[in-house]
Amino acid sequence: MSKQYKYKQAKITEEFIDVDDEIQNSTQQTGYAWEEEYKRSWDVLQEDEDGSLKRTVENLQHRKRKRLFRDTATIRRGIIRHMFLIVDLSEAMMEKDLRPSRLDLTLLYAEQFILEYFDQNPISQLGIIVTKGGYAEKLSDLTEILIIMGSLTTCDPGDIYDTIDNLVNENIRVSVVGLAAEVQICKLMCKKTKGTYGVVLNEAHFKDLLFEIIPPPPVSATQNKAELVIMGFPSSVTDASPSLCACHSKPTIGGFICARCHSKICDLPTDCPVCELTLVSSPHLARSYHHLFPINNFVEVPWNNSVSSTHCFSCQIPFPPLLGVRGGAVPIENSGRYKCNKCHQHFCIDCDVFVHEVIHNCPGCLATTH
Amino acid sequence: MNVLRDAATVNEDDANLLVLIIDTNPLIWTRLAKSTGLSLKEALRHLMVFINAHLALKHDNEVAVIASHVDVSKFLYPIPNPHKLSEDTDQTMNSNMYQRFKVVNDQVIGNMKELFEDLSKLNSYPDKASSMIAGALSMSLCYINRIMRADEIGHIKPRIFIASVSPDSPNQYISIMNCIFSAQKLGIPIDVCKVHGEDAVFLQQAAHITGGRYLKLPTPQGFLQFLMITFLPDRYTRTYQCLPGEEKVDFGAACFCHKKIIDIGYVCSFFVIHWNNVQLAGLTNLMLASVNEGGLRVVNGIKKLDKSKGRESGGST
Repeated sequence: MSKQYKYKQAKITEEFIDVDDEIQNSTQQTGYAWEEEYKRSWDVLQEDEDGSLKRTVENLQHRKRKRLFRDTATIRRGIIRHMFLIVDLSEAMMEKDLRPSRLDLTLLYAEQFILEYFDQNPISQLGIIVTKGGYAEKLSDLTEILIIMGSLTTCDPGDIYDTIDNLVNENIRVSVVGLAAEVQICKLMCKKTKGTYGVVLNEAHFKDLLFEIIPPPPVSATQNKAELVIMGFPSSVTDASPSLCACHSKPTIGGFICARCHSKICDLPTDCPVCELTLVSSPHLARSYHHLFPINNFVEVPWNNSVSSTHCFSCQIPFPPLLGVRGGAVPIENSGRYKCNKCHQHFCIDCDVFVHEVIHNCPGCLATTH
Repeated sequence: MNVLRDAATVNEDDANLLVLIIDTNPLIWTRLAKSTGLSLKEALRHLMVFINAHLALKHDNEVAVIASHVDVSKFLYPIPNPHKLSEDTDQTMNSNMYQRFKVVNDQVIGNMKELFEDLSKLNSYPDKASSMIAGALSMSLCYINRIMRADEIGHIKPRIFIASVSPDSPNQYISIMNCIFSAQKLGIPIDVCKVHGEDAVFLQQAAHITGGRYLKLPTPQGFLQFLMITFLPDRYTRTYQCLPGEEKVDFGAACFCHKKIIDIGYVCSFFVIHWNNVQLAGLTNLMLASVNEGGLRVVNGIKKLDKSKGRESGGST
């Protein structure tokens, strides 16, 4: 089987299992959707006693919301991270219990993980290590470790307990995603180093476990003291005629102008070669702000309070009207409205998910002056 | 990078969804009408021609219009259950007008009137100089998200256009940046037309980051012409257009203490917040103490301090 074909298969698998996660999939157009689409889709949909699918659909919706409930308390987060991703490439990864195989799925998710990691942690670093046949190669010293492990056994050259103690001493957090079954030593290691340990149930759960590690972790009080660093936010320029840059002394047309001494620099982030001011791109820093100011979780609106709202505040989609009670049919269990407790506007479930996962702004709070 | 990605995914046959955000800050528009002769009414006429031109380009092109007012952001079109518009909207143009143009024009103008009739709130709003751009952007992203979800084959290509007159509001910095990054993630270009006034730093960054276009009008009277030439071409056509390069993008950020736009600031290595120079000089001890002590409380502390000028004891605890 060619590599490319395997990759396509992996995409398809992911597509139908993660029915509720269209935001992340919207960028991936599926290849042969018709080949796989029907294979297991009816396993997901199961009729209840009355032969209705309503409950299944609701479950799907709730699963979507479940992931949303995050801690909105303000905590101190370490935004500059240094993490190793360790991928097990032993024979155990060829098992096909996760489809298409543990290895293919891992590679697919690792690719998405890395993209998302740098999106949410723009000024962090990531190293990758693969382990195979008793060897692992380290690239550089970083402070966090994430292991994706398919094997049930480890082969340790020294005493693993000594290694764990060293990790604790060096303040290195270890998280493990196990693909097979719980391994006691991994659990102990994660617990001691304040990392997370999880064993995957199925393909979608694998992704959940992996992506939980992306948001910057809280920082314990004992870790290094925070310092204020002076930084400049240069503006970019495009000149009509080339001029010399301060860093390479080469004629360039475009560049960035140092905020303090106004010399021209080719690329960011850097230290100004003339006045030694640290220059960064402010949008880079701004990417992390939503971690600092998380928005409140929306609450479900019960039927009796929701009669007044006719449509979603942000996307204008009409809400289901109050029909069921009068018609004698079973009333729909939830009203489809979700409320922000600050601005009291009602939103649909899609906007609720979108607002918390993508925008990180409450449109109601920003668009009204309550 | 955005342009490159676009070239691969955008087709000639794609329908275009244009979300217009119109900055309707009445105070700035009044000033603008006095100084340049371009009133909001006149500008709206230009914008209606622009919207009609967009709809006329392709039969399945869609449009949405959001007003970014001083105290509220509101959908002007489309709105669910449009009520009967008042009689004074022009009913005489029926016979020779494409029905769709008429529906859009009537609703936008009617809803705009409604927005302006409710002037009672205006006095209570503290920051009259700016408009609710962040709210309007969040709403447009939610709307686009809804349309894109419904469109399974990826036929609709969205973009956002902002006609801005108000100056930047540093209070909205974080929320505007959040919107910009979501738009970038979803591949939605944000076009910005600065009709009047100083360059809008945040909106300039928005256009730069999302691969949209930024234009500051040299002559506000020629609004329509700039609209038609710079902002009408859809995403497919743009891959073939060559514009004069952006001269300068100001990457200024807003500081967390004074909500001022700054070039040089102090950044905390843990939670990356900018401090203004002046603030630091006066309050170094207080701030460093509270930074060491614990996390985000410092921000609240400073905010409190700003409001109750000088009462430092409140901030340091």
